[in-house]
Order: sequence, then structure tokens, then C-alpha cells
Amino acid sequence: MSAWFSQRLRERGGALAMQGPWGDCTYADLERLWQAARADLQALALEEPAVFALVGEHEPAAVAWLFALAEAGHAVAPLAGNLAEHPGKLAEVGAQWIVTSTGRAWKLLPRVSEPSAHPAFGALRQQGHAGLVLFSSGTSGRPKVMVQDLTVLLATYAERRLNRLPVLALLGFDHIGGLNTLLGTLAAGATLVVPADRSAAAVAAAMERQRVAVLPASPTFLNLLLVSGEAVTRDLSGLRVITYGTEPMPPGLLQRLRAAFPRVRFIQTFGTSETGIIRTESPDPASTYIRFVDPATEWKVVEDELWLRSRTQVGGYLDARDAVGKFTADGWFRTGDKVELGPAGTLRILGRLGEVINVGGEKLMPAEVESVILGLPLVLDCRVRGEAHALIGQAVVAEVVAAAAADQEQLRAAIRNACRRALAAHKVPTRVSFVDAVSGERLKKIR
Amino acid sequence: MVPFTRDAAVRLVLARLALLGQELGKPALAQADEQTRLFGEASPLDSIGLVTLMADLEEDIFQATGRRITIADEKAMSRLTSPFRRVGLLADHIVELVHSSHA
Repeated sequence: MSAWFSQRLRERGGALAMQGPWGDCTYADLERLWQAARADLQALALEEPAVFALVGEHEPAAVAWLFALAEAGHAVAPLAGNLAEHPGKLAEVGAQWIVTSTGRAWKLLPRVSEPSAHPAFGALRQQGHAGLVLFSSGTSGRPKVMVQDLTVLLATYAERRLNRLPVLALLGFDHIGGLNTLLGTLAAGATLVVPADRSAAAVAAAMERQRVAVLPASPTFLNLLLVSGEAVTRDLSGLRVITYGTEPMPPGLLQRLRAAFPRVRFIQTFGTSETGIIRTESPDPASTYIRFVDPATEWKVVEDELWLRSRTQVGGYLDARDAVGKFTADGWFRTGDKVELGPAGTLRILGRLGEVINVGGEKLMPAEVESVILGLPLVLDCRVRGEAHALIGQAVVAEVVAAAAADQEQLRAAIRNACRRALAAHKVPTRVSFVDAVSGERLKKIR
Repeated sequence: MVPFTRDAAVRLVLARLALLGQELGKPALAQADEQTRLFGEASPLDSIGLVTLMADLEEDIFQATGRRITIADEKAMSRLTSPFRRVGLLADHIVELVHSSHA
């Protein structure tokens, strides 16, 4: 990976690679940071590949470490979002080292409790390939850990044509979509623009300032951009392409977006943590039908569910129990996405089969939230589900059986605050209803 | 049913904002008025906060009127000026929803 990317860094030299709250970072700056990260890594004198947690966002130090770890054949687990979720993730992945990135600076710490890498990394190690560890929400409330071949993934960006279109980074550094934006932008020698935060206001301000041309976003974010009025009050005339994915696009929203941005091209993207990003076409920009045009990916529809098989597929889940029912023996991945076939080899994503809740493109399983709520003393039982919401796609709804002594108003606030402390923001229930009994059973409160 | 007035809607929204302010540790929400921004630049709420406000208000309105409404509906989404931008606009929207709903 290092050869073509080193060359790209040198070719682009003084051009702006990244711009964000920490300032401007040129391709030459990024190369220097990469060298410094490489030196720190070499100083550890590791005899065999290790597992590194990389705590950070889209920022120069985190990118430098991603490259340094990839070229040295280590496994990298990017961690972003709520710190309270990190200890569980570190334990699941068995990270041996932690790099914490802040802007251009970093700290490197050993994690003494983990003497050796998980055996699931063995296959990558034998090939001398680096690993990319991604997390998704597990059914038991425990995060599901997936391992991708980072060396193969990075090679897919080597052939990118150069362009100078500034791209906005919206999805996180720990999200396959966010990493795809980062790698695609740098491979093209363009500028990645990182907003101060992910609110519509901060994103629109960054887009205006840097004349962002490409906005990869979820339909929910695009809806919020319209509803907040930022699309009108900010000068977004630099915008040329909006790519959207991670959740279904409501047809009414696409119409409103096309009216608000008449000169912008809309392209639907598709990817999963398990298979990576898949190249697609949107044959009719006014419709939400897409066509897969990725030579590395096969697809089929089985009982309304989309199945995928791809070259960038994960080596597997770290815990073999997680793979049960998700992968077939011949390598097909059941996405859990309900789809509909359209004309001329196209298809349309309708939503999720099963329990996964998709809040504005960020997914969660009910059990993660239920386990937090059941930990509160005045809660006797609870059930969490997704509910359609016109603003954010789906909202998290909790039905709670409370002890007779509970003040419902106070308990509602306590439930949401407990979730705010323990979970990423999108997992916090927006609606908490009190009921006499919940239907079905998943987790049982142990008393 | 007692007619549900715009004043009543404004009072409900402001009371609920004050409670949400306590919950979120944002006491400034107790000082909100009709002009307060609910979403977008200079708003104290993020998108999840706004959806939380809507959910609690739907419950408050059910308690007050016996009617179930959905504040974020397709009609609200397709308006040129979003009813979610300011407290006053949200109150207007709620009154309209209550009056067009069936008990």
C-alpha cells in the first residue's frame, strides 16, 4: 500500500489534504506525520503483528497512524464516538496497544492485559496483510467485531483518478463509509473537509468556507440540512455531487433535495461493514433504484433479502458465534436489508428485516439499549424497538414497566440520562412510554 | 373538549423545553420564548434532542386533549419554512394537527 500512496503524497506536496478544527494539513504535512508515526512504531520493536486501537476522528494524526500501521501489517481498530463504549470494544477485540489521536498529536499506550493477538488475525498474518477491525451492534448487547483485510481494501483505492474536488467528511472514522470517504479523497489527491461537529449548522459552515463539492451523507442528514434552513442561508454553490446511503431514501425527500439543489448530481451508494463499499450507479437521478456495477461484488435477492459476496469481504467475525446465520457456507453475506427488484437489473433498498434499528444511517440493536435501561433500580422490565420517524428515518422507542413507587417524569429523564452516559447519542431512546407489561421477551431483569 | 388554543400549545412547548433543559443540563432552555430556535444554528438542541422534544410533547398533548398526533409528519417535512425552526412555528403546527385529528 505504501508505495502508491507515498507517491501520491509527494505528487500533491503543498496541496491541502485535510482541513478541520485543527487547521490546514497539506499532503507534505501528512507525509511528515506518517514518518513520525512510523518511527514511533519502529521504536516499539514489535516482533510480530499486533492489534492497535486507534482512538480518534478524521484528523491528521489518526490518518498518519492508519497508514503506518497498515504498511507494517498490524491490525487497526478505529474507535470514535462515546468513550463509554470503548472499554467493551477494546476487550472484545483484544487490543494490545492504544493510540489516542488529537489533531496532529498522539499518545501511544500499551494495554498490558492483552499479551497476544486474537487467533482470528492469524490468516491475515500468514499473508503479511494488515487488518481493519470494525464494530457493529450485536444482538446480545455485546458489540460484534469484524476483521477486514486492510491491505486488500487499500489496494482498491490505488487506481483513483486525480481530482481537486473538496469532499466533506460526515460519517465517522470508525465507520466503513467514513473510511471510504477518507481513503477515496486522499487517493484522488483532493481535500477532505472536516466540520467542527456533525450538526447541520457546522457542516453547512464548513461547506461554505471550503467550497465543498462532494457531500457524502445519509438521507437523514440531508433532511436535517433542509429542515434547519442551512441549505438556504449558507452559500453551498460549490456543491456538485451528493452521495447518499446507509439508510433508505424516502422518495419525497429526494424530490425536495432535487428542488433545493437543482444543479447537484445525486448518487446513491451502498456498503456494509461486512463487505465494504460497493460501486453503484443511479440510472435515473429522480429515482431511488440503484444498480451494482462493482466487478468485485456479486449480489442476489433471496426472499426479499439482499445477499452479497465480495472480494473485500471480512475475514470473518472475531467471535465465530456472531457469524451464525449471517454467512452461508459458500461465502454469501445476508445483509438483512429488505430490497425490491426494479427495471433493467436495478434494485431498491426498502428497509431492514429483523430487529436492527437505523437512526439516520447509524444502526443499533434493541438489546444494547435494553441492557442499560434494565440496570436502573425502578425499572421492572423493558422493550426497545424502532419507530418510523419523518425527521430521522427511525427513532428509538422504549416501553418500560416501572415500579409502582416510580415518578414517571423523573424516571423517564433518568432512563434517558443513563443511556446518554453509556451509549452513543443515536442509541438514546427519544420516546419512553410506561406500560403495564411488555410483549415478548429478550433480556430478563435479574433481581 | 375544551378548544385547544395557540396559547395552550405555546405553554406546553415552553414547559416541556424547561423539563428537557433540566434533563440535559441546559438550564437556558427554561428561558425559551416563541422566538427561540429549536433547530439549526444557535439552537441548544441537536436532532436527537429535537426528536425527544417531539415525543414528549406528543404525550403531553394526549394528556391535555385525548388526541394522538404525530408532530413530524410528511406535511411538516415538505413545508418551505420548517415548523421545527422556532417555538412559535411549532405551536402553530401543533394546533393545526390537534384540530385536524380525530378524538
